[in-house]
Amino acid sequence: MKVSFNELQSLSWKAFIGLGFSDGQASDAADMLCWMESFGLDGVKTLKDALEQYSLEHPYSPPDILYKDTDVTVLDAHNASVLACSHLPLELAFTQARARGFSVLKIRHCRQRQLVMGYLARLANRGMNVTAFWRNSQTPLTEQVVGFRASSSVPSIRIYAVSELPDENKDNTGITVVMVNHVDLLPTMRSEYEYDLLARHDESDLLEVRSKTEREGIAVDASLWEQLQGLAKLTLVASTSSSRLGAGPAD
Amino acid sequence: MELPRLGAFSSSRLSFARSLIRKMARQRWQVTQTRFDLNADGYGEVIYRIQTPQARYHVVIFSRYLDDAQRSDRVIAEAWDLTFGLVEGDVEDDLMMSLSENVPLQEAGRQHPNLLVISRANRSVRNFSSFVEQLSQGRQPAESLLKTAGYLYRTTAVYGNGKFGIADFARLKDNPDFRQPFSAQMTAVYVLRQFSIDQVEHIARNKSPDAVPLSDDLKRYVGIGNSTGLGMAPFLINHPLLINQWVHMRETALSLAKQEAADEEAQQRLLDLMRRAIQSLQECDIENDDQRLKNEDVVSELSMAAVWLDQVSAEADLWLQLTDWAEAAFTLETQELINTLLIEIYPDHTDGLEDYMAAEESLDLVPDMPLIQLKQLIETYLDWALQVDLTSSDERYWFWYRSIEKEEPRLGIRGVDEGEEKELSIAIGPRVQRIHATLDAHLRQDPAALTIDFLMANQRDSDIVRRIQTMAGSAYGEIRANLWHREMKPMHLLRAKLSFLGAQRFDPKGDRWVRVTFFQGAPLIAELNAEPADLVDFDDWSFALAPQRPRR
Repeated sequence: MKVSFNELQSLSWKAFIGLGFSDGQASDAADMLCWMESFGLDGVKTLKDALEQYSLEHPYSPPDILYKDTDVTVLDAHNASVLACSHLPLELAFTQARARGFSVLKIRHCRQRQLVMGYLARLANRGMNVTAFWRNSQTPLTEQVVGFRASSSVPSIRIYAVSELPDENKDNTGITVVMVNHVDLLPTMRSEYEYDLLARHDESDLLEVRSKTEREGIAVDASLWEQLQGLAKLTLVASTSSSRLGAGPAD
Repeated sequence: MELPRLGAFSSSRLSFARSLIRKMARQRWQVTQTRFDLNADGYGEVIYRIQTPQARYHVVIFSRYLDDAQRSDRVIAEAWDLTFGLVEGDVEDDLMMSLSENVPLQEAGRQHPNLLVISRANRSVRNFSSFVEQLSQGRQPAESLLKTAGYLYRTTAVYGNGKFGIADFARLKDNPDFRQPFSAQMTAVYVLRQFSIDQVEHIARNKSPDAVPLSDDLKRYVGIGNSTGLGMAPFLINHPLLINQWVHMRETALSLAKQEAADEEAQQRLLDLMRRAIQSLQECDIENDDQRLKNEDVVSELSMAAVWLDQVSAEADLWLQLTDWAEAAFTLETQELINTLLIEIYPDHTDGLEDYMAAEESLDLVPDMPLIQLKQLIETYLDWALQVDLTSSDERYWFWYRSIEKEEPRLGIRGVDEGEEKELSIAIGPRVQRIHATLDAHLRQDPAALTIDFLMANQRDSDIVRRIQTMAGSAYGEIRANLWHREMKPMHLLRAKLSFLGAQRFDPKGDRWVRVTFFQGAPLIAELNAEPADLVDFDDWSFALAPQRPRR
């Protein structure tokens, strides 16, 4: 089924509230999702995975700070989705980069990492150069680099498979974000090692996709939509004849 | 801005209905009927084509039989006398099939992304049947019918911006026809007005060979009604930057008008408008007792002002004299009506502002703001929120929630009604007060803390913090009222928004519902299609007056 951005934003916001997110967390998460989908980057598909992470019995808990100084912060998100755990740590890294010119944020043990792009876009729009890197420990091992120029909310993305496997290849569900005030950090492939470029999205390609999705709407799996509606219903109050009066007298 | 003042606003030449008609005339939009498939009872499908200099659109209308028992203005209704939509581009057969299957279902349908607007409307049963009856007997209906309810149909919701699958407003941001907020919705409603006239004439013709068409002056006096409930209220809280922009433009227009040195021509123009506004209000037959009394006060005060204006000379600071007097001695509604009229007489100042009624709605965090500065912002710009005594049961009386019935917003009594745990964050004041207390405690521990330090320890408060940081610099976005208070009037919220849309003749039903009229007195589509030479005269349709001349 096709839905509009406003519908996706509004329903996912309500669904996140239904899951126990605060208003701010829910609106950030919904914005991240819609941003991804607007550029054809499978935000909705990733949401499906994210929803499996949550249940009302296991509410989200904030990440622990493992290390923090004026330039570097390392967190443990306990396998939470970046939808829930990344906004404020990213704001912290933004603050550090503004103050010191450069900052590094590492979030260990987080899920649906590609969704982080939605929030990075917002920070880049505020005049920050941002690059994020993460690695998927699969076969072949892949790495993804996303770079935003300062004041642009459209990224350059590279996804590539590394064929010369490093010695250390433990499960890696972390993400590293680098922010710099004054230097462009767009990804450019220059490597001495062999790699296989799997995907390359530049700003102009992504803008074209956005214009198409604006025209045609977003394709959403009907069962996921129902799932979101079910979660959104948790925010609604049962109706009675007396509660109907809460909207004023019957006509 | 204070809630009662927002609730006293009148529509002005900056309102979206007015600016739409001006633009249509200026750009020579043409509206033509391209399909008229109605049976003798007026049920079927009708399409109107709108041709602008840039593009083509269609308003598609589905008129269906509705049992009287099903006719309800509430959002929880599931059937209406008619449903309609504004389509971008042409309506091919397959699109028409999709529209006919989904538009009549409204919220329950899956709407096509070529639709810019969907809406529904119910008949004013009394007006509709009287009009059909009179016209079919070769007589014109009494204009008094339109003084009680100035329409044949009233819409009960007009949806835009991506609702139920239709196009997002973002898609219109580069569309010169509809990039102004609510201009697509207003266009659909304006065309519906023509349909209401065409339909009653059609039914009358089918009833009797003696039927006559509706006279042009009565056609002009037909508007489109709208019934609005609490559902509109959250919009004003959830779009603070947009509301700020609307009020800011209105205040800018007023400020420019007040700075003008009055001359005799402007003085006479204002006097004419005052007299027209007085007559228009006197002609409105308002059911609601409170509103009727308010209108009587406006008529009385505006009459005094008119007598004064007729006798004083056109001194340079005449407008300041008038507004100072109004502020000191008149009701809020009269003050705001005078403001509306002052804006009206200076189109050169006002009309350019209509291009600035949109706003980029982004509430961004300033994480490196010193926390002490955040505290200072709250205490300086949101002081009204800190003055509320939240230990008082009256100050905490209501809570806002959404019902499972079509997500209708409702008010519940705290401690009495079910649903408090699912309260909507509509009331900004109490949240500001709570965050102020929390950050005060944080500052005692860490006086040099930044906002981000505070939020890392209070992760659930990011939205109210960024709202405070963004809105502190805006003059009008936050409504300075405790929306939990027992005496809070939701009607004020509804009227504020409706006035910017261009609504006239407010007739509240209690404090949570209001019926209004759009486009009463506006030029007809035939006049638009005739490409008016005098655009100033074409635009001069505020404060509609009942037809005076005898009709046959």
